Amino acid sequence: MLCLRNVEYSQNGRRILRSINMTFRDGMSYSILGPNGAGKSTIARILMGELRPTSGQVLLDGEDVTGLSVTERAKRGISMAWQEPARYEGITVRNYLTLGGKLKIGEDGIREVLELVGLPYELYAHRFVDKSLSGGERKRVELASLLLLKPRYAILDEPDSGLDITAGKLIEVILDRFRKCGTTVILITHHEGIALKTDFAYFVCGGRIVRKGFSQEVVDYYRKTCRRCSFAEG
Amino acid sequence: MTIKVDLTREYEALVEAYQREGLDTSLFGDRIAAIIISGDKIIGLNNVPGVEIRGEEIEKGVRAEVKIAEGVELPFPIHLCTGYLKSEGYQRVIFDINVGKNSKVRFTSHCIFPYAKDFTHEAIARIKIGEGSSVLYDDEHVHGEGVRMVGKTEVEVGRNARYTGKFTLTKHRAKELKLEMVARLGERAVLEIETKVKAVKDDCVEMKEVAYLEGAHSRANLRSTAIAFDRAKVNVINEAYGFGDYAKGHVECHEIVKGDADVQTVPLLRVKNDKAELTHEASIGRINEAQLIQLMAKGLTEDEAAELIIKGLLGEW
Ligand SMILES: Nc1ncnc2c1ncn2[C@@H]1O[C@H](COP(=O)(O)OP(=O)(O)OP(=O)(O)O)[C@@H](O)[C@H]1O
Ligand SMILES: [Mg+2]
Repeated sequence: MLCLRNVEYSQNGRRILRSINMTFRDGMSYSILGPNGAGKSTIARILMGELRPTSGQVLLDGEDVTGLSVTERAKRGISMAWQEPARYEGITVRNYLTLGGKLKIGEDGIREVLELVGLPYELYAHRFVDKSLSGGERKRVELASLLLLKPRYAILDEPDSGLDITAGKLIEVILDRFRKCGTTVILITHHEGIALKTDFAYFVCGGRIVRKGFSQEVVDYYRKTCRRCSFAEG
Repeated sequence: MTIKVDLTREYEALVEAYQREGLDTSLFGDRIAAIIISGDKIIGLNNVPGVEIRGEEIEKGVRAEVKIAEGVELPFPIHLCTGYLKSEGYQRVIFDINVGKNSKVRFTSHCIFPYAKDFTHEAIARIKIGEGSSVLYDDEHVHGEGVRMVGKTEVEVGRNARYTGKFTLTKHRAKELKLEMVARLGERAVLEIETKVKAVKDDCVEMKEVAYLEGAHSRANLRSTAIAFDRAKVNVINEAYGFGDYAKGHVECHEIVKGDADVQTVPLLRVKNDKAELTHEASIGRINEAQLIQLMAKGLTEDEAAELIIKGLLGEW
């Protein structure tokens, strides 16, 4: 179980997150839904360890892991696909997926995940993960990478943004696949339709949790309130 | 290949060094035009039809002439092997390379100084490429801890000819490296230069690449990548001169620093013809934080992530 307990985050005197409490149980899937600037990516980066909360804790199976580095958390099974995946010069998709040969995966495994995310092996395995990949292609490579890693927790920051109309279907395939290998998905999105595909959801706005519960409930609430909302700043 | 009898041991030592470094030992085969130099001796020489290599032992080194006839196209590269197997000393190697018209050749040059502790290597190359020919020159270096290297290359790329030069020194100490490359391009000539160097500890690297785009429609692309760690010093100078009508040049330099390395890059573009067009791109900085973190989120340590990224930058995958 992965938890955020009373997490606050401020930057340059500005409060970005306030008393965030979240729980991610093993084998379930979660959405974090909210408008631009709500604090979703900040939550993700705190879970991953890229950012340290100003106060509060990150707990993994009850143990305080707030002080652990990104690498240490990854070794304990937390991994993340960033909203803007980085580009790497001179590294092919194939090498990227195997982390330069560190992951021992055969060609078949690579082929399978690439095809799962809609990238034919022949066309993509030897492309570079650099500027030459389109935004959507880069996102798909990142999803393939997490599928191969099979982490215990996969944080996906807006995996659907930049994807074409096949996005919805792709997210379903990904969620299904992660469910099968026991990965807990934490999916960040501003699309209600995507949030509906997970079991549970948190609706975040202005750095606070506005609502949490079954995805359907949270999405209904989001639909009712968010469109008519006047408070962007908490 | 005929090897001078009294030098077979040196020859074997060189072949062994190739094996250790994972270099291609088939380059020593009979079908490959080659000159094998060790110290100030020519220990092997092989010519094939269309290629005439002549060598001469000079004081502390070797001078060689390589002549490629017209219309020659070789299935194998021409192997230039320069070795120095002692730990100290001085070696001077001069290559005069003349490529006739409409030929297509590759040179694989290996400089092997595996035991060097206090060694100076001076390399001078003059390369003349005839009309319509295409030359690829791949220069790889195996250096021990202490090599002072001064390299000067002059290239004349004739009409419609193409020269691609690659220099790599990334797996071994650069120590003291001073490279200078000057190229002159004729009409519709094409020049491509790619240099990759890694400098660590107190290494000191100076690289200067100059392209004179004299011919109309000539094109040049100079790309350097340098990795500087610790207290290394790296200075990269790229110059392009646009003289010919519609000449087009691009210089690019990327340097990654870590530690207290001192790095600079100086691009110089000069145009004396309003139809010419030159561009440059440069970056100096640490490894991008996002690139590191995102790999670390897959379980790599910071050092492992940096290594993967740098290997990519150096084209080692
Ligand atoms: N370095 C920073 N300095 C000041 N404010 C910041 C900084 N980084 C983020 N913020 C602010 O924190 C808030 C939350 O940002 P965050 O990226 O978490 O939002 P988000 O919910 O992921 O938005 P989006 O949907 O646009 O990705 C935003 O208002 C943002 O401007
Ligand atoms: Mg975001």
